[in-house]
Amino acid sequence: MLTWLAHILHWSFLDSGSVQTALLVGGSAAVVCAVIGVFTILRGYAFAGHALGDVSSAGGSASFLLGISPLAGFLGIAGIAAVSLEFLGVRRAREQDVATGIVLGAGIGLSALFLYLDTTTTNTTGTAVTVMFGSMFTFPASLRLPAMMTAAAALVMMAILYRPLLLSMVDPELATTRGISTRWVGLLHLLTLAAAVALAALSVGAVLASALVIGPAGAAVRISRRPGVAILLAMLLGLTAVWCGIWMAYESYYWFAGRAWPVSFFVVTIIFLSYLTSVPLQYVRRRRFVRAMPMAAYAGG
Amino acid sequence: MDESIHPSGTARFLLRTTAWLTTIAAAILSLGMAPAAQAKIRAIGVENQYANVIAQIGGKYVQVRSIVSNPNTDPHVFEASPSVAMEVAGAQLIVRNGLGYDTWVKKILAAAPNAHRQVIVAQQLLGLPENTPNPHLWYKPGTMPKVAAAIATALGKLDAAHARYFNTNLKIFDASLKPWYAAIAAFKAKFGGTPVAVTEPVGDYMLEATGCQIKTPWTLQAAIMNGTDPAPQDVSIQKRLLRQHLVKVFVYNQQVTDPLTASFLHLAEKSHIPVVGVYETMPTGYSYQRWMLAEVKALHLALTRGISTTVLK
Repeated sequence: MLTWLAHILHWSFLDSGSVQTALLVGGSAAVVCAVIGVFTILRGYAFAGHALGDVSSAGGSASFLLGISPLAGFLGIAGIAAVSLEFLGVRRAREQDVATGIVLGAGIGLSALFLYLDTTTTNTTGTAVTVMFGSMFTFPASLRLPAMMTAAAALVMMAILYRPLLLSMVDPELATTRGISTRWVGLLHLLTLAAAVALAALSVGAVLASALVIGPAGAAVRISRRPGVAILLAMLLGLTAVWCGIWMAYESYYWFAGRAWPVSFFVVTIIFLSYLTSVPLQYVRRRRFVRAMPMAAYAGG
Repeated sequence: MDESIHPSGTARFLLRTTAWLTTIAAAILSLGMAPAAQAKIRAIGVENQYANVIAQIGGKYVQVRSIVSNPNTDPHVFEASPSVAMEVAGAQLIVRNGLGYDTWVKKILAAAPNAHRQVIVAQQLLGLPENTPNPHLWYKPGTMPKVAAAIATALGKLDAAHARYFNTNLKIFDASLKPWYAAIAAFKAKFGGTPVAVTEPVGDYMLEATGCQIKTPWTLQAAIMNGTDPAPQDVSIQKRLLRQHLVKVFVYNQQVTDPLTASFLHLAEKSHIPVVGVYETMPTGYSYQRWMLAEVKALHLALTRGISTTVLK
């Protein structure tokens, strides 16, 4: 199957170890981001998702300084930022933006310091570009297992959170009477979001992470209001964007005489185009369904 | 009492104080300025290999400092601090590489113009255009004699009294490069055409001079040098070179590294391909000519006895 595909695409595409690792790690990121992205958008946490990505750049740049895995760096800082967001008192939407903005500033400030130290005290070259915009083709093969384990853990967590999260979004009071702690559910969702953001930051870079977290899910939510369908659709869009992006970056080697374009550019462009396509689709759908209570649709799952 | 002839008490006090202050200020200024003006020319070799050559030509009449010399950092991404900028702006002689390697120096000098300052750019001496892809000119055998001659001329302008001294030192320097040239010629005669792999182009000029064939795709070398994403196709070619023993030596830049170059190094070691370490700046404990000679000797050792010289000591 794989060799057959290899013939169709380009003789060496799937033979290359760097391509295989990029497909696995980027694919894991796309799947996790699809599931968590849908909930993040429905909860109105898109900006928090973006901020977590930016903040996680501090972890990515610190990892080069400490000589640890970038995934561990991204995960650590995104996790800390997620907890800070929850405990900085995110009760009202307006407060949420303020707290998020403040955490974001602090995180990027740390990145500025760590990236400076990276270039002045260690012999890492191109760290800033790798942290901010991703370098999927430079993943070592040893990254495959930890990335897929992180993805699996995030997916298991979302499977557990699926019902309580939907219920606490639709009807927080009902959720409380059923013994669901909306605060805990919210915190766990943010932590899982942090894991998705870390995987996305690793793949397409800290600055572009939100494109992968919010983009495919945003397009999917426009096309279908049913969370289950939206998640599947977001997975399809995310995987298409990441895998086609990797393939196009690989092919661009032949277009530009060996000066291949970065993977992240292709991935983010495909995501943007799919989002644009989803806008007219939304109006087609709206004409068919007229809903009085949009949130009622989620409770049914 | 005629006040127009005899100053009042207050005015006299002021005059006397001013005179004292002027004397003190002059004394401080002369303490600070005089030794610098009399004795040593303040020179900067932006990269420490150029500083080393300035020191060899200028000897006791020159006070040399280098800016880029940390062997653990990549000079391509050097960031100048304000104190470095002041030092550069205040120097009488500056030698730099050019070709985008130290553009920040150009900016500092443009911001602090000084007609008496002597600036030597290796790129200009060699007449190389801005788009020359490989900036590591010090590995080119023809570079340093030209730089050294320009240094001797510039020093002679700054300190005409010792021009002969500088010229004698220039002759000594030129003579001291002969063992390196002889080693290159001997290597080329015996091992010309040897296939080698590299991480980035730092040592390419010397490898070309020794007749080695650089098998690593240029696009991969450029990607590693500039810190951009390497194409998977290029990575596959490089891995094949190392895995299938299509190269006899792996030339590894110690100062521009990332997980990818580390994986190449690991692969070379696993395939028992000898490794030769090369540098962006002069390693500690070396002079320019001893460093260059050591690199050719390391290549020779790698080919004849399969010995790696990953780090120059």
